[in-house]
Amino acid sequence: MNDELFLNERIDVVATFGAGLNPCVPIRFRRANGRVIEVKEIGLRHPTEKGRRTVHVFDVTDGEADYRIELDSERLVWHLTREGDRS
Amino acid sequence: MGVNEHYNPEIPLVMHIDLNSCFATVEQQARPMLRGRPVAIVNRRTEHTMIVTASYEAKAQGVTLGMKLKDAKKICPGLVGIESDPAKYRFVYHKMMDIMSDYSAHVRMKSIDEGVIDFHEATDTMKRRGLIDIGFEIKQRLRDEIGCAMRCNVGIATNRFLAKTAASLHKPDGLDVIDCKNLRQTYGTLALTDLTGIAHRNEERLNAVGIMTPLHFLDADAQMLKSMVFKSINGYQWHQRLRGWEVDNVDYDLKTAGRQFVLDGYNMPYDQILKRLHHLCEATGKKIRSQGKIARGVLVWATTHKEPGTQKQTGRGGWEEQRGSRYWHARHMATMPFFSDQAIYAQAKHMFANAPPLIRTIGVSVYELSDDNDPQLSLFGDELARERHITSAVDEINDRYGKHVIHSADTLGTGHNVKEKIPFGSTRYL
Repeated sequence: MNDELFLNERIDVVATFGAGLNPCVPIRFRRANGRVIEVKEIGLRHPTEKGRRTVHVFDVTDGEADYRIELDSERLVWHLTREGDRS
Repeated sequence: MGVNEHYNPEIPLVMHIDLNSCFATVEQQARPMLRGRPVAIVNRRTEHTMIVTASYEAKAQGVTLGMKLKDAKKICPGLVGIESDPAKYRFVYHKMMDIMSDYSAHVRMKSIDEGVIDFHEATDTMKRRGLIDIGFEIKQRLRDEIGCAMRCNVGIATNRFLAKTAASLHKPDGLDVIDCKNLRQTYGTLALTDLTGIAHRNEERLNAVGIMTPLHFLDADAQMLKSMVFKSINGYQWHQRLRGWEVDNVDYDLKTAGRQFVLDGYNMPYDQILKRLHHLCEATGKKIRSQGKIARGVLVWATTHKEPGTQKQTGRGGWEEQRGSRYWHARHMATMPFFSDQAIYAQAKHMFANAPPLIRTIGVSVYELSDDNDPQLSLFGDELARERHITSAVDEINDRYGKHVIHSADTLGTGHNVKEKIPFGSTRYL
């Protein structure tokens, strides 16, 4: 199977919020180990529901690996939940 | 029924849009590192599972739908297997539907990855633009509003059948028009089984009367198709459909609802199977209630693993016959309609006591559905009312706080095993 890593890591994210088709654009995020990931492309953003809370899922890449980061719209916290393979 | 012998001469006003290898494309959109690589979507994180969708890169190397992931990796070593993510596909489905609805009020989604726009009642301004122009605009909007890797096929014709046929002519990312002028020429490039609705059995029926190609089919007499090939009104309908006349613009009522599950273990203990069956009953109950229906019949079925000593069949029999396994089912029609999970499970469990050993797949479905408009009073009216109130309260809580927040203690822990999967076919539950 695909070698995705499943995580639940709290991260700090720099993002812009505006209007248009992509109202929220993550720019970069810092992982728990201090490593900073620059977002090169947002693959897809889709909302999911966790109970009554809406969580916005961003599939992004830094050009070397794919990441899934999630914004909890109620608590306004970000988590890194997946890291894709690097090959 | 009036039969039109000539081809439909009107301007094509039906557009069929089909996302190319939908789930694989969406995954490649979401994960840019997967683009250009062979990708297969599967429903479980295991090598023994069946491929649901393959990307074009994988298909080019011989990977086909229904192949086991481990077998596919033998012919395509770089294949990346990804577990399906229904939330993502549902989001793309809704985006696609939003885009299509901008052009006409008559949009019908045929499944999670394809839909039809009927422009017959669209505004004159819209019609004047031309459907080819609109088709290219929809392709561009998919790329702009979902992502640059999204591709779709667009087919334009005078009826739904030809529009779907047109959408399958040049994959991926094609746009084709079929009208009365190029109808024969298009059929000339196709085989019978390329036509939607003609699989092997219908092909055999047609071959039996000397119809070997779509052009023979097109030239066949309506009466002959009705009385000798399809032996029903279907013959007339095919005669009209092939000529570009609309016969498929119909909505069907919900007749059955159900779920099935391939067990996550070999020779699983009976009590564990029952728990999963209970989970399926809860999912089925929720499905009919979400559509405002009540049921009167329950069907429970199972297929078994290949029994020792049985041989695989090489013929063109059903799935079970080919694998030396067995299909078992039982059904029960209740005197009173029901809607609750408990009522469905009680009947299913009772029937399941007779199921054979070595079960591989289980399924439950309910039938004889009707609208839930507070049926006639019965001697047990109070009990039914109480059950209705409890069920709707549980549904309301689950809708608000998340699926499966309140459920039977019996199904505790089965949610992880019996995950929600991609709903093929009907889009009622999306």
